[in-house]
Amino acid sequence: MASHDLAIEAIDLRKRYGSTEAVAGISLGVHPGEVFGILGTNGAGKTTTVEMIAGLRRPDAGQVRVLGLDPATDRGKVRQVLGVQLQSSALHGSLTVSELVDLYASLYARPVPTGELIEQVGLTSQVTTRFEKLSGGQQQRLSIALALVGRPRVVILDELTTGLDPRARREMWRTIENLRSSGATVLLVSHAMEEVEALCDRVALFVAGQVAALDTPSGLTDRAGASSLDEAFVALTGQEPEEVL
Amino acid sequence: MTTEIQAQRPGLRAWRTLVVCEAKMVARDTSGLIVPLGLPLLILLMSASSAASQVVQNGHTALEVFVLPLALTIVIAMIAIVNMPSFLAYYRRTGILRRLAVTPASPALVLVAQTVVSIVQALLGLTLAVAVAVVGFGAGPPEDLGVAVGVFALASLAMYGIGMMVAALAPTPNSAVAIGLVAFFAVGALGGLFGGMATLPDPLASIGTTLPFGGAVQGLGAAWVGASVEASSLIGMTVTAVVGFAVAAVVFRWE
Repeated sequence: MASHDLAIEAIDLRKRYGSTEAVAGISLGVHPGEVFGILGTNGAGKTTTVEMIAGLRRPDAGQVRVLGLDPATDRGKVRQVLGVQLQSSALHGSLTVSELVDLYASLYARPVPTGELIEQVGLTSQVTTRFEKLSGGQQQRLSIALALVGRPRVVILDELTTGLDPRARREMWRTIENLRSSGATVLLVSHAMEEVEALCDRVALFVAGQVAALDTPSGLTDRAGASSLDEAFVALTGQEPEEVL
Repeated sequence: MTTEIQAQRPGLRAWRTLVVCEAKMVARDTSGLIVPLGLPLLILLMSASSAASQVVQNGHTALEVFVLPLALTIVIAMIAIVNMPSFLAYYRRTGILRRLAVTPASPALVLVAQTVVSIVQALLGLTLAVAVAVVGFGAGPPEDLGVAVGVFALASLAMYGIGMMVAALAPTPNSAVAIGLVAFFAVGALGGLFGGMATLPDPLASIGTTLPFGGAVQGLGAAWVGASVEASSLIGMTVTAVVGFAVAAVVFRWE
């Protein structure tokens, strides 16, 4: 039974690709205003779970609710309040930064002004640069900007800072802190333990399509008797965390 | 928690912005302009000089009755059935549609923006071709300009209906081109692409007239000499347009 007090709720989600069970009974609940992290090795089911929450894939079994709505059947409502930065997607290569922000802004009822958003992600000097000419880190920042352009109440960020240099990563962390201050709910998929420790209120560790542990970062560390989240990850999942790219 | 959330479809600003963005992308991709602008001229120049001196009906030349209608039809069919679907398939393959799928954008928004920009491209090319036919080879206007415009508009909708189905169903850019070419040559062969419909067996010619390619060639030729357009051509093009767009909207895939 879905709870209407949760911003995101997944109940016994299952998804199979052929003979591979990518998600094998994931359940989790994210509270409004919370920054919730998902950690796991490759193939642990993180991205598939996020795609089901975003309404891009239908689960074989189980339920998803975003602000009490089903992302698949209530698509029109969910898209107005959900901002998504996907791990694998592209933008129109020959459009400039400002053209892309304008385009995505036009899809929402109450968008963030283009100039303000571009400044927020540090792309002001690239405003007339085509997407295909941006560096990987700049493309990532633009992708995050587009996830935020509609003033979402729930934000899904898959691999938030992958490809960003340390300075840009810190700036992006500040953006997440600002989102938290504004009351938005953030679901953050990450490989970076430091990032999860710095930003997340709670973390779910995914192993083989299931939640192996769920707690605050410090709670996971204490539970494992470890000195860091890295060590806790190894102790609780039996696997080495992936290298951060 | 859900009571205050309203489903709000993108408004006129979104439609306008997406069309403008699509147009900018086309203008920045110079190679993509070769087919719509160059193809009509090429077809025309290949056959215009001999056809311009051959009077075939009511004082009208073969250029006006056969070559121009065929050239106009080939161009709109090529752009709508082969060119446009490959763009959409490319968007799907690279993840551009996947990114739009997590926004309030609807499939209709994407499909219509593509169609509008594609039609504008085609019209530019066709205008150029007709201007060359008139200025360079002395072609005259259709006896019934309104019918010619109406037939061309209906034929365009029908061709884009087929193209939209191809775009919605094709899994990859390569398969979109392959399926589009097969569809183009299928409707073209039955519509007089290779030597005129008079050379086809009667049953095939009848089928060809009801398909968009044959219907467009027949209808434009009729408009040029002031004859009436066959009802089966008009019905065939209308049905193709309605079915094509409806199927495309239903089976559209973001990824």
